[in-house]
Amino acid sequence: MLHKMLVPVLLATALAAPGLHAQTGAAAAGQPAASPVDPAAIQALKDMGAHLQTLKRFRVSTELTGERVLADGQKLQHTATARMDVERPNRLRAVMTSSRSERELVYDGKTVTLYTPAQKYYSTVPFTGSLAELVEQLERRYGVEVPLADLFLWGTPAAPLDKIESAMNAGQTFIGGDLCDHYAFRQGKIDWQIWITAGGKPLPRRLVITNRADDARPQSASLIDWNLNPAFTGTTFRFTPAKGATAIEILPRKTK
Amino acid sequence: MRNPFTRLFAVSLTVLALAGFVAVPAADAAGGARAGNRGGGDHARAGGGGKNVQVNNSRADVRTNNVRSTSVNNVNVNRNVNVDVDVDRRGCCNNGWDNDYHPIATAAAVTATVAVTSAVVGSIVNAPPPGCVPVNYGGMIYQQCGGVWYQPQGPQFVVVNPPY
Repeated sequence: MLHKMLVPVLLATALAAPGLHAQTGAAAAGQPAASPVDPAAIQALKDMGAHLQTLKRFRVSTELTGERVLADGQKLQHTATARMDVERPNRLRAVMTSSRSERELVYDGKTVTLYTPAQKYYSTVPFTGSLAELVEQLERRYGVEVPLADLFLWGTPAAPLDKIESAMNAGQTFIGGDLCDHYAFRQGKIDWQIWITAGGKPLPRRLVITNRADDARPQSASLIDWNLNPAFTGTTFRFTPAKGATAIEILPRKTK
Repeated sequence: MRNPFTRLFAVSLTVLALAGFVAVPAADAAGGARAGNRGGGDHARAGGGGKNVQVNNSRADVRTNNVRSTSVNNVNVNRNVNVDVDVDRRGCCNNGWDNDYHPIATAAAVTATVAVTSAVVGSIVNAPPPGCVPVNYGGMIYQQCGGVWYQPQGPQFVVVNPPY
């Protein structure tokens, strides 16, 4: 009942925003849009990105489901979790856990360390820069992916929105008790969906990415939980080697 | 691999591995827990459920290692220049943070390496040979022994395709 009442209200709101919907009046009335990119969906990403960049300290946790495609197209699913403590502009601790390994990434603004507790091996390299730069450089130089990397890129020039080829509002739904706006995008070889908390403080609560580069369309789904009042200590963002831990080299990423 | 016994051991295990990991003797696994568990201590278990047990993938079908592509976890990294770059790269060697399944043996690699070298891709040893150097590549730990790369698998080490 609530949803039935919400829809007309939202439609009315959409129609009453002439600046955003100059080209998509037909879409609002149920006709095919002239442009597949709904500007309001793009604006929602902008608003979320701007809000994300205002968060100075937070703890964010994620549960991810991913897929591997085998030679014949059969898919296998796996899961992993990560917890990240973040203090802008340049502090991060990430703990990544999968069924086979646990790894930690610690960035204190001067050095970044990757630690594997099972083998007690760690690698430290000097780095200064923002978290967005860290995410990009770790991937480019070392082929190391930071969990929920987009969180650090949305709202920055590293997350351009003009490459999106299709954007639409897919309605509202609840994610973990939070009312969210659901958006769907197409961009190059990926389709992606995001659920953003409704209201004035938009946060991503769920992200689903479909890889269309493979016919089997492997998909990842990340549930995202927020703690905006985390209790950090002086050691949260400092890496101190455990007893018996050994420093090893991290090799730069090679191109094939 | 200078030790002839080790060599024999590795080869025999390889045969088992190629046959589908059906019958790695339990005694070997137990021995590996002592020999290969270097400084693991309390952290020796893989992440997972937090219980003090390790995953055991010795009975996983070899086909599970023949991965042609994977899902992707982000929509922005490496895609602001060319939207296709990252999607395609992941199918090969470098995985997302969630995906620590190294492609051990593609079908081509298996046929190419059998009976040519002593350290056959997919073979399992309790400890890497002397002189191996631990390195981090792509966020994962390897023991690099010249052109042969081992990856920790539970308490043991498996020969994998070189990651680059």
